Amino acid sequence: MRLPPRAGERIDRSRNISFRYGTEEVVAFAGDTIGSALYAGGRRVFSRSFKYHRPRGLLCCTGHCPNCLMTVDGVPNVRVCVEPVRAGAVVKAQNVLGSLERDLMSVTDRIGGPFTPVGFYYRTMIRPRRAWPLYERLLRNAAGLGRVGGRSRRFDTEHRRARVLVVGGGRAGREAALAAAAEGPGVVLVDEGSHLAGAELPGVEVLARARAIGIYEGGLVPVDAGELLLRFRAQRVVIATGALEQPLVFPGNDLVGVLLPSAVRRLVQDWSLAPGRRAVVIAAESRGLDVVPILEDAGVEIARTIDLRERPLGTLAAEGHKGRLTRLALDGETIDCDLAVVSGGRQPAYSLLAQAGARVEYDPTRGIFVPRELPPGIEAVGAVTGEVGAAVEPAALYAGSGRTGKSFVCLCEDVTDKDLARAVREGFDSLELAKRYTTVTMGPCQGKLCQVASNRLYAQRTGTGSAAIGTTTARPPWAPVELGLLAGRHHEPTRRSAIHFRHEEAGAEMLWAGQWQRPHSYGDAAGEVRAVHESLGVIDVSTLGKLLVEGPDAARFLERLYPNRFADLRVGRIRYGVLTSDGGRILDDGTVARLGEGLFYVTTTSSGSDSVCEWFEWWNAIWGYDVEIVNVTGALAALNLAGPRAREALGRLTEGDVSNEAIGYLDARELRVAGVPCLALRIGFVGELGYELHFASPAGEHLWDRLVAEGARPFGLEPQRVLRLEKQHVIVGQDTDSESSLLSAGMGWLPKLDKEEFVGKWAVELGQDRVRERLVGFTVRSGELPKEGAQVLVGGQPAGRVTSARYSERVGTVVGLAWVRPDRAQDGSELAIRSDGATIAAEVALAPFYDPEGERLRS
Amino acid sequence: MSTLDFLSPQAAASDVRLVSPLARALEGAQSVRDVSSFGKVEVRGVLDGVELEPGEELVRITPSRGVLLTAGSAGAACARLRAAGLRAYDMTGALAALELDGERLLRRLTDLEPESLPAAGAVARGVPGIVQRVGGETFRILVPQELGHYVAAVALDAGEGLAR
Repeated sequence: MRLPPRAGERIDRSRNISFRYGTEEVVAFAGDTIGSALYAGGRRVFSRSFKYHRPRGLLCCTGHCPNCLMTVDGVPNVRVCVEPVRAGAVVKAQNVLGSLERDLMSVTDRIGGPFTPVGFYYRTMIRPRRAWPLYERLLRNAAGLGRVGGRSRRFDTEHRRARVLVVGGGRAGREAALAAAAEGPGVVLVDEGSHLAGAELPGVEVLARARAIGIYEGGLVPVDAGELLLRFRAQRVVIATGALEQPLVFPGNDLVGVLLPSAVRRLVQDWSLAPGRRAVVIAAESRGLDVVPILEDAGVEIARTIDLRERPLGTLAAEGHKGRLTRLALDGETIDCDLAVVSGGRQPAYSLLAQAGARVEYDPTRGIFVPRELPPGIEAVGAVTGEVGAAVEPAALYAGSGRTGKSFVCLCEDVTDKDLARAVREGFDSLELAKRYTTVTMGPCQGKLCQVASNRLYAQRTGTGSAAIGTTTARPPWAPVELGLLAGRHHEPTRRSAIHFRHEEAGAEMLWAGQWQRPHSYGDAAGEVRAVHESLGVIDVSTLGKLLVEGPDAARFLERLYPNRFADLRVGRIRYGVLTSDGGRILDDGTVARLGEGLFYVTTTSSGSDSVCEWFEWWNAIWGYDVEIVNVTGALAALNLAGPRAREALGRLTEGDVSNEAIGYLDARELRVAGVPCLALRIGFVGELGYELHFASPAGEHLWDRLVAEGARPFGLEPQRVLRLEKQHVIVGQDTDSESSLLSAGMGWLPKLDKEEFVGKWAVELGQDRVRERLVGFTVRSGELPKEGAQVLVGGQPAGRVTSARYSERVGTVVGLAWVRPDRAQDGSELAIRSDGATIAAEVALAPFYDPEGERLRS
Repeated sequence: MSTLDFLSPQAAASDVRLVSPLARALEGAQSVRDVSSFGKVEVRGVLDGVELEPGEELVRITPSRGVLLTAGSAGAACARLRAAGLRAYDMTGALAALELDGERLLRRLTDLEPESLPAAGAVARGVPGIVQRVGGETFRILVPQELGHYVAAVALDAGEGLAR
């Protein structure tokens, strides 16, 4: 099947490479692509079309059109016309039921026409309604391009810099790269073809078989280099993507044997293959006509050559047998041929330029879009600038005579001229809307071979000019890219406390809390709750946000920031604080300990550390106090040692005085515990005697081990949730939302309105009598557990929602927190909670369920 | 007034076993090294007034905020800087530090330019870090300790990708 050896051919006839296609073994030459090797073996049908399953053959041989998509080594949608052969590759046809020659799905082409117009699935397949799930399954099975293989491949990402990045390795691109290299180093040339591999361009780094996917903000150009994504940032980007030969729209224009001139050049010149026996050549510009001597040289008989600049055609239609071209009818004349080389002109491949912000303008004399007004840092050279020579605008659609076949505007998505006409009739008269409706330009070629044709047809159908219609917005990806490459390696950013691995070793069930991995429990949440109530527990609270506020103005700063008072807080004492927004809404909560006249230690919620730090810095940027705000969250680990035995255990590990007189409730003291300097905060989130120890994180495991050795039982977040709920301690973000105020959350005692100023003060004053709902505790005597988020009903009407609910062994029933209408916020008010279809009777309880006087905390 | 001793790992008794956040991730690793025990001090104030001692390096984040890295005692450096009128905080435990070789490996972890280091920016997909060139093709990356294990795992994986 090969032509005799010829000068310039890219194959090495002395080296055989074999691969598998289906069940057959294909022997190729080095230098072949999978596509050229299959073609040499006599294969002409390479794929079945997306919707009608029509046979399709090679069209462009440049990797742009969808006609040669096959599955290679499990990777679907490989353009085999540009995929170099490799030994042992396994190549399979895709999107067929049966084989490429006999695809059962091609029935859609014969009978489907009238029933499957554009958008048919959401228009004709809606009745009967209950059948939709079936339709959907059928459609999903029928649609799509190939199947994603089970083979997992590794994709990496690398950040690159370049002084000059040249995209496109044609003559203009190579010259631009060499000129840039003459000015200095840092020049990179990327080209999608393989022929530049190993090419020597002095001073230029050549990346062959690499595609620029797009141009993003900040000049970011991601380059697909196979299994490596190169994220280029260049001072100058030179676009040399050339021009794309355009098909003509006529009946039967998708038949096997209708080729673009580029395919002829590659088949004959690169691989020494004759593309047919008898050819008709039709072109709207001179380069398309250049294939005539090439064809003659390959022994192809030229039946007719038509230069559209001299002879505009009236009618044009292709006819075929079993999907293969057999004759061409033009202007009433019929010509037998098995090859039609057509070119509707060369369209500059401007997409990357448009993505970068260039304007695109229609040139009506040549019928092409040309880029103008390039943004700074972006240059264009060669054919992409519009230097493609003289051409004539071809007809939007060549009508056939009599009964003729489908005329395809978009081969990727099987969109015909009739589909576009229908879209216009139905009112989709803007190109952008019509694109979304018909999916023209949205297939694998991304408009490379259909943008101009669809535009022209739209202009004709709507009676507007192409210039007025313009183009659709150019967006990445410009070249098809595997999602795996964009995703890169899978690593989940995970925050781990300094004691993380001790939890894992202890068999903790871990859960995500924001980016943190935290222990849910160590297997027995109820037992862990019991340990805290009856003996001793320890929980890792290193995730708490921790800030130091230091400076002569520190007290003034906090006084002005918080609704409650801090100026009078004595050194060594702790106060609970709630931060509110300008609008008086609850932002975050935590404790504030005064460590010195001008030194405070502030804790925040685990999720709030960064935002609270920013909030502090933001206000201080306005107020300009002499304070430093230092986020020490990661510097410190923190453990809450809680339970009746906490004092005794702590006393054994420190030489300091831990008596109730020395460290009373809400005292802060510095203590050396097991040799580790700690800040000990006597607070009680979980409702028992407790000490929160804050200390340098590298000592985390050491102190954890010592506390556990003293009999402290590790407890996780789940038991902590039960313990705090028994005390009705609120978790900001769980029990409150962006609407919650201090008054509605039952913290009306907290803001000090006699202060001259604090953030959100006006809102507290204004909101006194505007509370629309209140956060209250409730119990469920029946023991049924409502879901968090369940609705509270009063008289059958929605009147609130549950934010937290757990079974408490200690209280002997289900306890929870819920937002309710103010008239229901009384002790003993009855609530109906709707959860999972059941109605649960609950009763409001305003005081903590456990140790309401807080005696255990202070003991 | 507190001495803020509780911030300093070195202030712990000598029998306290200090554990690096990278210890498990880098166990047995060759290509990426753990240098987390390196002293780090957050400095606030007029940085021009900072006098460096041998073995110290100052990375400026803003004109009035920087990180002092020291091969010596972070606690001693804090005391010295405070005596000089600056505010200083021992952040040794806050930051994990890893060292790696090769510009390509660095380029697989960060968008920061190897030519303009030290610099602060995103490492391993969005982790805020400080990157320094230690010399030649050796780089040091400082990240929040709680994300250190993650960053080390990403660095090792990137190294494997390069070695293929």
